[in-house]
Amino acid sequence: MKFIHLDKTHSVEKEKRDDTFQITIDEKKKYDVSEIVIQSNLISFKANGKLYHINFAIANDKQYYSVDGENFVLEKEKSKTAKTSTQQKGNTVFSQMPGLLVKVPVSVGDKVKSGKILAIVEAMKMQNELPAPSNGIVKKINFKEGEQVDAKQVIVELEIKK
Amino acid sequence: MFRKILVANRGEIAIRVAKACKELGISTVGIFSNVDKTSSHLLFMDETVWIGESAPNASYLNIDAIIDAAKKTNSEAIHPGYGFLAENELFASACEDAGINFIGPNSKSLTLVGDKIASRNTVKKLGVPIIPGMEMTSTDISKFKMMAKKVGYPVMVKASMGGGGKGMRVVHNENELEKSVAAGQREAKSSFGDDSIYLEKYIEQPHHIEFQVLRDKFGNCVHLYERECSVQRRHQKIIEETPSPVLNDGLRQMMGEAAKKIINASHYTTAGTVEFLLDKNKNFYFLEVNARIQVEHPITEMVTGVDLVKQQILIAAGEKLKLKQEQISQNGHAIEARIYAEDADNDFLPSPGKILYLNEPSGPGIRVDTGIYQGWNVPPHYDPILSKLIVWAENRKSSLPRISNALKNYILLGLKTNIGYLRRIVNTENFIAGKYNTHFIEENEKKLKPTNENLDIALLAAVLDKGKEKLSLTTETSIKSNPWTEIGKWEICKNGE
Repeated sequence: MKFIHLDKTHSVEKEKRDDTFQITIDEKKKYDVSEIVIQSNLISFKANGKLYHINFAIANDKQYYSVDGENFVLEKEKSKTAKTSTQQKGNTVFSQMPGLLVKVPVSVGDKVKSGKILAIVEAMKMQNELPAPSNGIVKKINFKEGEQVDAKQVIVELEIKK
Repeated sequence: MFRKILVANRGEIAIRVAKACKELGISTVGIFSNVDKTSSHLLFMDETVWIGESAPNASYLNIDAIIDAAKKTNSEAIHPGYGFLAENELFASACEDAGINFIGPNSKSLTLVGDKIASRNTVKKLGVPIIPGMEMTSTDISKFKMMAKKVGYPVMVKASMGGGGKGMRVVHNENELEKSVAAGQREAKSSFGDDSIYLEKYIEQPHHIEFQVLRDKFGNCVHLYERECSVQRRHQKIIEETPSPVLNDGLRQMMGEAAKKIINASHYTTAGTVEFLLDKNKNFYFLEVNARIQVEHPITEMVTGVDLVKQQILIAAGEKLKLKQEQISQNGHAIEARIYAEDADNDFLPSPGKILYLNEPSGPGIRVDTGIYQGWNVPPHYDPILSKLIVWAENRKSSLPRISNALKNYILLGLKTNIGYLRRIVNTENFIAGKYNTHFIEENEKKLKPTNENLDIALLAAVLDKGKEKLSLTTETSIKSNPWTEIGKWEICKNGE
């Protein structure tokens, strides 16, 4: 099985041996896992002799785990959203977070320079300014000011002159 | 005493205020916007009133709707909590006009102390040191440029109204100034409904230390010691503790007396906070007065044993302060960590969403002021604060492992929070040693990065929790034995047997 954690893919292979699982992570790290107990949002097991109690939750494509006070969000590799990069692509400007589109200070046809603020998204009283990734012409604006946008939704599309 | 209070807020602070009302035998009225129809603060209210659409301007900042709600429910007083309209003199005066008691200072003294510029000018006359800067707000960029040149860069651009770091920006040179002024105005407008901003000298490597004060309508005034609030991200506090590791008794007394002097001069009645900056040579400067109950008020309650919200209500009801300065002391040590819906490892970006699993810590010396529940959708419209974890212990040394463990046991899954980050903070060498200032976050950036050392364990759990192996190795726990069925017949003892 393959899981994505912060844009990195990790392989996890599981093999059953007598009363334990042997699990190999990233083809090199091996763990002997036994004494597995699952109860609603809690999984307990022994890995290489150490006991763990891990709370988890699963929704849509994402799986959430709390291990020793730190949360980990994993996605199965096949899910589509996982493949969207968190970096701004060459010709689009997208929201980094769910929020309210408060300002789009450009119009279709405007010539913009790299770094020019093309949109401002506000969530939880914080404003996130989204700059143009390169020089170009505003080709399309997908939302109106005052509309709600989701994380990773494209707000402005640019035409880049080569 | 009031019979009914309208709580003009949401989230954890609305709940905190409602609990204080209940203990005083006062019934409560809650308000909610569209998106808050199923929010937990409503569970603590005897009556609830819808006040508008989800956007803050249409709801929690909507003065007319809130006054109407208070009139409709015959509320005698309004508690504004913090944020929103807590320090808005228009709101206080609308309450006065409607014959409703505003739990806070009156509109006249709010204009004086809520407005940072006005309070700077008042404080200067009292002989308490202030930071050099503008004596009035402006929209004229040339005035900002002129003052910045006079006091020298770096400078700080600040919103005159409100607090919590909103609309505040450090500017290092003239090139950045114009952009920062514009951004500061925008943020001030959206946060406080007022875009007045000003500029002052930026004090480097400061401690942010504030004093809690209570003053009644008869002029009786006490301070309840300090809160050290130097751990800040984006000028917003995230961890506070009391006593401060840097104050000695002499300085503590001096600052406490200065705080009282400022509050007395403003004829300010209610619970309030006087904020100071302490520079590296331990000179203190007046920063601002916060005319509200503060987010971090619980740590003061833990070490002094005084319920500040109850005191605030009693003062508003016209009661005389029973506390005397000499009766108030700091007992033990308290630390608060603010739990935010934000991605602390990605520039603190807001992270609204659904809480899939929640288990909050409890135990000796642990207090959680919470406004959330499992299954609730955290909306994107308001402040990212979810709850506050407060611990108390007999001294600072014992409070450190207590907060670290409590954060470890604070489990919230489904959206990004800063819980892991807060735990990394309290475990840094600098925090443990009590050696930090407001630059703590920048200076410890590398140490505060997640190590991902337990990523493997999460991956192990991820391949095991599917139960696809049909639990050949797993045992679904169930209660196999039940003492009530195994012991046999029971009978309640009769008297005397």
